[in-house]
Amino acid sequence: MIFRLVKTMRATTSLHTCRRVALALLLSWAGATSAAAQPAKPPAFKPAPKVDVSPAVQKLKSGDEGQIRAGLDDLRIAGAAAAAAAPAVADVLARGLTEPLALQAIETLGDLESSDGSAILAQYASHRTVTVRRAAIKALTRTKGAAAASALRKALGDADAQVRGNAASGLGALKAKDAVPDLFVALDHKVNEAAASIGQLCNAEQCEQLAGKLGKLPFDVVMSGLELMLFRPSSEVSEDAKIKVLGRLRELGTGEAHRFLKDVERRLVKEASPRIRQAVEQAVKATAGGSQ
Amino acid sequence: MKTVTIRILGAAALIASALSQGCASDPSRLNTFSTDWLDDSGRSIAEVQTRLRGARPSANTDLVVSVAGNDKIIGTPLGGGAQWTAKHALDVRPIIAGGVVVVSGGNEVAALDATSGKKLWARPTGGLPLVGAGDDGNLTALSLSRGAGSTLLIVGRDGSVKRQIETDKTLGDPEVVGGVVFVPWANQYVSAIDAASGDEIGRVTIRDKVSRALTIGGTLYFGELAFIRFDDKISQSSRGGASRVALPSRELPGTPRLLVPGTEKVPPAANARDRDRLFGRPSGEATPLAIDSGRFYASYYRLILGLEAQRGNLTWVHTHPHDFIGGEAVTGGLVLCDEEGKIVALDAQTGQVSMEKSVGEPIKSCVVQADTFQAPKAATPGPSLSQQITDAVTVREATLATAQRLLLRELATLEDESATKTLIDIASDPRSVPVLVADARAALATRKNGAGYMLAALGKHYDFLHDVLRSPPVGPIAAALAAMKDPKAPPLLAAQLLDPQITDDDVKQAAAALALIGTEKEMPQLKQFFAMYRGTAPSDEVAVAAGSVAEAMLRIDPKGSRPIVEAAAKDSMTVPVTRARLEALLAATPEKGGDKPAAGEKPSAGDKPATKTKK
Repeated sequence: MIFRLVKTMRATTSLHTCRRVALALLLSWAGATSAAAQPAKPPAFKPAPKVDVSPAVQKLKSGDEGQIRAGLDDLRIAGAAAAAAAPAVADVLARGLTEPLALQAIETLGDLESSDGSAILAQYASHRTVTVRRAAIKALTRTKGAAAASALRKALGDADAQVRGNAASGLGALKAKDAVPDLFVALDHKVNEAAASIGQLCNAEQCEQLAGKLGKLPFDVVMSGLELMLFRPSSEVSEDAKIKVLGRLRELGTGEAHRFLKDVERRLVKEASPRIRQAVEQAVKATAGGSQ
Repeated sequence: MKTVTIRILGAAALIASALSQGCASDPSRLNTFSTDWLDDSGRSIAEVQTRLRGARPSANTDLVVSVAGNDKIIGTPLGGGAQWTAKHALDVRPIIAGGVVVVSGGNEVAALDATSGKKLWARPTGGLPLVGAGDDGNLTALSLSRGAGSTLLIVGRDGSVKRQIETDKTLGDPEVVGGVVFVPWANQYVSAIDAASGDEIGRVTIRDKVSRALTIGGTLYFGELAFIRFDDKISQSSRGGASRVALPSRELPGTPRLLVPGTEKVPPAANARDRDRLFGRPSGEATPLAIDSGRFYASYYRLILGLEAQRGNLTWVHTHPHDFIGGEAVTGGLVLCDEEGKIVALDAQTGQVSMEKSVGEPIKSCVVQADTFQAPKAATPGPSLSQQITDAVTVREATLATAQRLLLRELATLEDESATKTLIDIASDPRSVPVLVADARAALATRKNGAGYMLAALGKHYDFLHDVLRSPPVGPIAAALAAMKDPKAPPLLAAQLLDPQITDDDVKQAAAALALIGTEKEMPQLKQFFAMYRGTAPSDEVAVAAGSVAEAMLRIDPKGSRPIVEAAAKDSMTVPVTRARLEALLAATPEKGGDKPAAGEKPSAGDKPATKTKK
């Protein structure tokens, strides 16, 4: 029963869901900020109840392949509630495992969502086997911490496109603002996932820089970042910066720009800033006859 | 056996001649192109030599003749004079013979004035292809192929046929000096035919394959694979005593030929054989006979190799923008023409361009004759040989790969440190031809200098974001630096060891090098690698590398490392290849008393890499 509850919680904190929730939050946040001139606090998740990890840790320390597998299974089911076991998982991974077991340990560290796992995951993020690297990058996005951000930045230069893409997305999730210049380089190297992360992290100048990619990079790619940027609270991105971007879209005047703006108009919350609302409405009108 | 008919004498004379030749009983008597002749120890050719002692071959026109389009012939003088153009159907490449250019096609053969391109005469050929021509200013001798035999046609300046000799022998490229026609045949004889009488007045047996007679710089030579000079030693030819010079044998790209066999019909348009040639010029009257300027040359598409004439050592490499399709060695260098119609002279000593001319349009083929023309000296000595090779091997054209491989091997023999850099550059460049990469890597591993370039290369890593799309050649560099015992290498090698983008073979070699020269400072990386790959090695090379890393660890820190290695050797999670290596290592380095783990201490299954997770 406990495990089912924990499982449900894990599901709600999966990366995909996280992003959807974050977007919804940002949408409401943007409106509230504009209306009340102060950022609304996102509702905090209830912390997971801690579970006793010592039986699983004992299994990890056994040195036996089967026992280690079982211990990792137990911890994965417990998820973030078993974060206390992260050092033990890191320890067993650091001693050396078979590839399947190493993959399992990496995923377990991701599920535990403890920054204690980041250092060893950073090492496995440069493993020779690409599936191991991919798994490590995904896990780092969840364990967070300085080591995670550093490893993800390094992984932007990986030979594998999936590793690069996941690293770019991860940097956005980690709010690694220092990585924005690297993300721009990645975007210029067709790491499309970098656009969304830039949209989440950019300052006014960087957001303008991202908007400058309109017409140079595929519209969908750039908009995946600008969309997130437009709905960020004004404490992070000023209304002026957003209006500049809306102006860029208006200048673009294409059908796809129009459709995008219509979608933004539809999603604007009631409390959205009048300036933003007006800018969006005008942009929608101006692009109404846009080319396809 | 009757071998010759001389039509011009008429049927009666022909029968008489046939009878007299067929019934000849004196085997030392010369019957034209007869095969029952016994070598006369040089007597007859000595007589010819005596007869011609005062007669020097006429000066040949220094000229480049190019073929453009289907029937356009362009004459470009190498010295002064205006370029000329003529039109004539072509089924073979034009031949420059003394002061005429002989062209053949449309069932006729014609002579053009070499200085103006004006047609001097034309004769029907019945479609027989022209294979060779010689001219002494008064007479032109033509060799026409008849399948199983040949026709030798001797034509006066007015176009009148002086002699037409048909034979079942395959004749080579003739030359005319003082009214005597020298005709190579059967790959071993040169017959001297008196143009006035049609009689064979002398014959010489050549010990080299011979199919061409030619005058160069006022001297007559016979040859195909070597040059045999027609001088007062020619009578000793059958005994190997003639003045002879050949090019030294050495490895060259393709299968270049010094002279096209004089029995071969050469097509009007250049083909692959024209892009793969040898050029050398005999030194003239000097004794002993040598190769002019001490240089011979090999062409390969757009590369020219300058080679020392004694031993064949490479002295320079010239890289041209376009493929060379024809040329000739001249005094002091080489004249070549490319497919774009550019004519260049290269300095024999430096390979630098010392003269340039242009035909003015792209060409299909060209022939060069240089009698008195001398290649000017280049104004500058040009870059070092190492740099010249670098320029040649970094041209990214698959057609050049054969020559580039050879040049890479040459480069590897140079002491110059920049050679090491070039090898690294080729091995690191994703655009390099794969075979060149393999050769460069092999050459790098044996380098004994250029460590600075190697260390700089090791400092670079694959980086997609900064367009570094190929890792440096870590393996061979590791081998070279380990052999040099370079103290700056271990940290760089350790960093590469953990880079997932280097090849498995590079990992193996880097680990092997660290087993030799790794230090205490690299222990964290060594431990990390060992722990990470002892159970997850994706290939045998990496598994072997894990073993080498264990060897390094045991050498650097035997006490601390032995328990780790012992535990890993017993752990079923360690891959079999690594485990076998570990067992062998442990057996080879017996445990010392002090190295034993404390009683009751259970060795862990491998050590932990340096992480911050341990609490």
